[in-house]
Order: sequence, then structure tokens, then C-alpha cells
Amino acid sequence: MTEITLTIDGKQVKGRDGNTVLEVCEANGIYVPTLCHLRGLSDVGACRMCVVEIERERRPVPACTYPARDGLVVTTHNEKLEKYRRQVLELMFTERNHLCPQCVATGDCELQKLAYKYQMDHVRYPYSWPALPLDSVNDYLVIDHNRCILCGRCIRTCDEIVGLHTLDFGYRGWKDRVVADLNQPLGTSSCISCGACFQACPTGAIFSKNGAYKGKPEECQKVSSVCPLCGIGCKIQALTKENRLIRIDSPDLAAERGILCNRVRFAPLYGGDERVRTAMVRNDAGRLQARPLSEAMSTVARKLADLKRRYGSNSIAGVASSQCSNQSLQAFRELIRETIGSELLDTLDGDIYRTIIKGTQDFQAKVGLTAQEASLEEILKADCIVVLGANPLATHPVAGSYVARAVRHNKAKLIVVDPLQNTFPYHTTLWLKPKRNKELVALNAICKAIVDRHADKQSVSTKAIAASLVGIDAKRGSREASIASDDLAKAVELLSTVNCSVFIYGDGVLRYKDPALITSLLNLATVCSNKSKGRPQVICLKPRGNSRAAWDMGIASSSQSVVRSLGSNSVRGLYMLLADDDVDAVKFITLGKGLEFVVIQCSYRSRAVTKASVVLPSPIWTETSEEYTTLDGLARSASQLVRPPEGIQADSETLREVSKQIKKLESSTRRR
Amino acid sequence: MAKVKVATIWLEGCAGCHMSFLDIDEAIIELTNAVEFSRSPITDIKEFLPVDVGIVEGGVGNTEQEEALKELRANCRILMAWGDCACFGGIGAMRSSFDREEVLRRAYIETESTQDGKIPRPPAVPALLDKVKPVNHVVKVDCYVPGCPPEAQVILYALKELLAGRVPVLPSEMMRFD
Repeated sequence: MTEITLTIDGKQVKGRDGNTVLEVCEANGIYVPTLCHLRGLSDVGACRMCVVEIERERRPVPACTYPARDGLVVTTHNEKLEKYRRQVLELMFTERNHLCPQCVATGDCELQKLAYKYQMDHVRYPYSWPALPLDSVNDYLVIDHNRCILCGRCIRTCDEIVGLHTLDFGYRGWKDRVVADLNQPLGTSSCISCGACFQACPTGAIFSKNGAYKGKPEECQKVSSVCPLCGIGCKIQALTKENRLIRIDSPDLAAERGILCNRVRFAPLYGGDERVRTAMVRNDAGRLQARPLSEAMSTVARKLADLKRRYGSNSIAGVASSQCSNQSLQAFRELIRETIGSELLDTLDGDIYRTIIKGTQDFQAKVGLTAQEASLEEILKADCIVVLGANPLATHPVAGSYVARAVRHNKAKLIVVDPLQNTFPYHTTLWLKPKRNKELVALNAICKAIVDRHADKQSVSTKAIAASLVGIDAKRGSREASIASDDLAKAVELLSTVNCSVFIYGDGVLRYKDPALITSLLNLATVCSNKSKGRPQVICLKPRGNSRAAWDMGIASSSQSVVRSLGSNSVRGLYMLLADDDVDAVKFITLGKGLEFVVIQCSYRSRAVTKASVVLPSPIWTETSEEYTTLDGLARSASQLVRPPEGIQADSETLREVSKQIKKLESSTRRR
Repeated sequence: MAKVKVATIWLEGCAGCHMSFLDIDEAIIELTNAVEFSRSPITDIKEFLPVDVGIVEGGVGNTEQEEALKELRANCRILMAWGDCACFGGIGAMRSSFDREEVLRRAYIETESTQDGKIPRPPAVPALLDKVKPVNHVVKVDCYVPGCPPEAQVILYALKELLAGRVPVLPSEMMRFD
């Protein structure tokens, strides 16, 4: 792009060809007021706040849509422009209900700030007073059309950044308003409640139910952190007041992984389930009784040391949730592996880990390629996306939004392979519905058909895959999986003509715990990787937020299922580190036939708590400063947003203390 | 020098602006050296006498308020609007999105705790206007002090400007709508 020179307010400034006048102003630190402009969105010139004068233009023009050219002479501020801007503000204030005292956004409103700036102390025009409805059907968000200035930032955010295009304008003229889908309440529309529109709204037209009236930004503390919930690792910025979460935003909506989802943006504001607030020890009468944490930790250490002495190290098993932080997992490994010396260490999602490892090893052995997972951003570069047994919009919404964006804006093709659900009804190019339990047959059939089609120009890896598929008949396979031959042909056509495909799989594939399914998925991704250097581009939507770290750190056992070994009588003690995972752990405890002593370290009073011998309290993720790893392997470090309830310490501290006490008990027994 | 005569009224407002004015604390002593209060809720003088400065709190929501405002305007040289209600309509104007009869019905008949309600319409009760208007939509206003309520120091600033012979325009940093 070539450099251009403009004269703005009498100063020579540089810009680039293709910039708008506003972009040149912003790049050169020249202030121009804006309302409908938001960085990262296309500009529409709706609000007329950024009007500037340009030599040889008959009238003021919006800077946000006016293309900068070499030699332009621009005036951004003079009496006439200021008068126009004030007039525009007055018109906006009279159009609907913009009375600040009773508005949720007062003190945090761009319209209000501009009114202050332009000293708008009264309005000269008559008010319209339209009685517009208020949409409060959504769980987290309210749209108050009376506060809307029709800047369209929410609509463009929903379309351009989120990729869903749930919101748009409805009606015409002065009845114009923001509608969801075909004018449905937001709560029943295709909205995923990601809240990006709420963040983009310059006024109080879209607001959060549980954040409203709780504190203005100026009264709050601001903390930057990271969300550990699903493994995408979105950066967040929280506002807190008196140790309460008021609002969670993305530091930059337009950045990578910038939109957030309702699990982090809104759910933490609601407090959640009943917390475990103290340590509890089961008394002689068989009742759980609140005890001081130090006493409960001593009980745990004594009991575990006792079990180890009587039955050996492998009589104690440790199972952690992969929702836990790196620090907690490391301390847990130290306790179980090193202090107790047990080999029985696993995660709740260990079975899934072993499935993937086995499937990947089989693929590598056969095809000779390493199968590394692709980064999420590859979705945005792909021209074909295959979603297998996954519902990213629900489980990993930001990944789901990437898929939607790739389809809407990059014209990528989307193939969904799922017998039951497709959360991308408006984006899908082809939906294959193999019979349940026949996904493997379906994948192999498609893979075989593609291999056959390109039999003449096969790479080394494709040849290896072809060899492994000998004996498979594509037509028979697709019939068995009940995929119509038309659909099979379409899939083959699509997959063999694209340049760069990304495969996303999740729970619907993983729940079979079948390594062969992983292998065939990798096979298919490899034969479809025409231009991606022959490497399969695969993304696994892992079951828990820190699964990747738990697996990489070796917390998940690569060889045996500890949960299954609970069934043998030899396991007498079980230590479960659940932290704030909402998993139902009861089923694991009831498996243990010979269990004498069960420790549960957790944040919430789940059913599992009722089965414990000792309960140790955990903080939740917003209460700790710890590290996590994203599902595609990036390191993320979270900061404490609020203090935990009195008497609750970090999981790693509790685990280390128990470890220390066991060591102390053991050394004193040895001395005796 | 003769004292500047000031009259204040409060229309469809909550008295918050007048209360905020009293929050200027000891500055009121200095002020009363230069100012004499005529009709005002503070002095409890009822009749309108010619004054230099008229001050209005509240929006215009019924016929009595409209009349009082016009009378004040006719009797003052400079008219100053205090607070969001006078400047923009404010809290009272929340009813403006609804039909007048609908508002009365809601208040006197449909309220959850009301039994056998009736809309009172004795001739002595002034009729509601269709909409609650800001003061400048009824009479000419010379200066504005928005805020809900305006801070005491901002009110004081505006009064001091007037005493210095200037018509005050609040600088941006003194502007507040809440």
C-alpha cells in the first residue's frame, strides 16, 4: 500500500492508500468524535458525529466512510462542525428515551460523554417519546429499544466479529429497530448470549441483567485475566466492587478469541451453586461435620499415611478434574506420585486421553506423519471446515464463532457430520447424518472414496492410508452408515476440491472411546490436506478447560484407567481433586468396592460431597491467580478477580500441606 | 449596591436541586450578602414579585406548573433551569412515553395494592399535561445547570457567574446528567 499525504487541520499527515479519513486521523492522534464507529467493524456513517469538512466537498462528510486520498485538505474542528455535532446529539436525545438519571449506563455511556463534551445542557427539539418494547427474554441480556441510537454496532459485531448475524435492523424509517432473527425475542432466537453486542453498545440499550445498577466503572477496580473454562483461553477484563464481580468484558472484541461467551461474561456474576465453605470431616456417627481446615488436613494426612503403611502405596488412588489449574495439578501429582508413591493417578477424562493417544499413535505408525493439533486460528484460514460430533457454539462458543465467521466471511464450506445435532443450520454446506455407532464406517467410506478418486496422484502418506483401507468399499460403507450416495458424492467432491481443510471434533466422537475413530478421522484429514503441507489439521474440543495441560503433564495415566481399577478391592483410599468442576463424581466413588477413605477437594456442594470421608474446600477460578494451558497448547496465566471466602486457600497450598504432613508422619514412624 | 433579587420555584421535581443548593453550606452566608430571596420554597413567600433572576427546578407536567412558570418568566430578567427535570424532562418525563389516561389508570386503579380505585378529578386539582416538558419547551430559558441533582459547587459556580454579570455556560467537566 502506498503512502499518502493529507492536510488535516493545517498539519501535513501521512496515511495509507485505502485508509478512511478517520483512520488517518486516529493514526495521527487527531481526535474526531465518533459513536457508530468501533475498531474492528466496518464503517457505515450512521451517526454523523465524525463529520469533517473537506476542501471542494459541498457539505460536511463523515470521516469514517470518506476514503483518504493524497492531497486532501481536511478540517475536523470549527464552529460550524461543532454546531452540527451538537445538533446531531440533540436529535439523538429527543428521538427516544435518553434520560440519564434512570439509565443503567449512566457514567459509562458514549452518548452521554459526547453530550458533556459538547456542553449539551438542553435540547431545542420536541421529544418523540415512542413507547418501544423491552426484550428481557434472554437469560443474561436485556434490549431496551428506548435507549437505542441505531448506530448498528451490535448488529455489525454480531455479524462481522461473532459471525452469527442474529441481530439486524427491522422495520423502516423512524420505526427502525434492532431485531433478532425474524423479529423474535432474543431469548428464543439463534443468539448464543455471547454478549459481544452488549460490550459494543455505546448506550444502555443492551445491558446485562446481573450487572445493571451495581456499580459504575469509575467506582470499580479493573483486573485483567484469562478464562480457564473451556480451554480456548480468552483474555478477559473484570470490573469488581467490594469483592463482587460487576462486569466481565473482553479487552478487545476485535482481537483473536475476543468475543467471550456467556459462561465467562455473565455466569460468574451469578454466584453459582452452593459453595463448600469449610472443611468437613465425617464423625463417628457417620455425619459430615464442619472442622477447621488444619484439623481436616491432619486427618487426611494421618489416614492416608495409615492406609499406605497397612496396604502399600498402590492402595491409594488420586483422580483429578482437568478443570484444575497447572499449579493444582502439579501439587496433586507430587502428593499422589511422590509422597504417597502410588501409580494410580488419573484424570476424570483420562479415558478420552488414552483414546486419542492410542488413535494418534496408530495413525503415526501407519502413515508416518506426526499429528499435531492445529491452532484455533487455522479455522479462519480454512476454506473447508468439517465439524464431527461437536457442538462448538455450545461447548466452545468462541471456536463456534470462528466456524461461523469462516463460512460467512471467508466463504468456507462447512460439512457437519453428526447423527443428531447441527448448531450451524444457516451455515452448513452439507450435513451428513451417519447412523449412531456407524460414524467410523462413514468416515472410512468417505476417506476411501476420496483415495479412490485420486488413485493416480497419491502422496506417500495417502498411499499408506489407501493401503490401510484395502477391503473397504465406499458405497457399501456409506449404505451401512445410512448416508445417501448423493451426500457421499457431494462430500467427496467438496473435500477433494478444497485447499485447506480443518477438522473439529468433540464429545460426539470422544464418547465412543474408540481409538479407531480417531485414526480414521486423522486419515481423512490427511487425504483432504491438499495444500496444508500434507499435514492433517485437526482440532479436538477437549472435555475440560485444562485437559491439554492435565494430559501433557502426565496426570492422566497413559496406560491404565484408574477409575476402572477402583473396582478391585485393593484400592482403599481415594483422593479426588474436583475444584470448581461441576462434574458428577458420585459414579466414580460408588465404583470403589473396597474404599475405606474418600477425600474430596471441591468448591461446590455436589452429590459427591455426601460420599466423602473428608471434604476440603477449594476456591473457584475467579478467586485464584494460576496458570492454564489452552486446548491448542498456549500458556495462559489468570489473575485473582475476587478474594475467596474466609478460610479457603489455593488447592495447591492444601495439597502441599497434606503432602508435608504425610512426610512428617512417615519420618517420625521411621525414627520410632 | 442593591442586592440581586432571586425567586425560585419547583415544578415536577423532587426538591433535590433545592436541597443540593442548600449543600453549599457556609457559602450561603456570603451569598445572602449579595442576594435577596423573594418567592421560594425556602422563604415560603408565595406571590410572584419582579426579580432579577428566576430559578426553576423540575419539568412542566400540569397546568398549574405551566402557569407558575409563565408567571415567573414574566417577572424575571434571567431564567435559570436547575437539574435534569428542568433541562430535559427528567424523572417525571418517564410517563411521557405513555398516554395520560393510561398513566392515571395505572396509578389510581391498577396498582397492585389498590381496591376499587378511582381517578380523582376535582376541579381544584390541576390537570396533567399530555407530556412532561423541559422548561425551555414552554418559556425562554437563559441558562442551564443540569444534573440529578446538580452538585452544590456547580450550582454555586452558576450563581457566582450570574453575580459577576455573566450568563453561565457550564464547562464540560462540570456537566453531569446523573
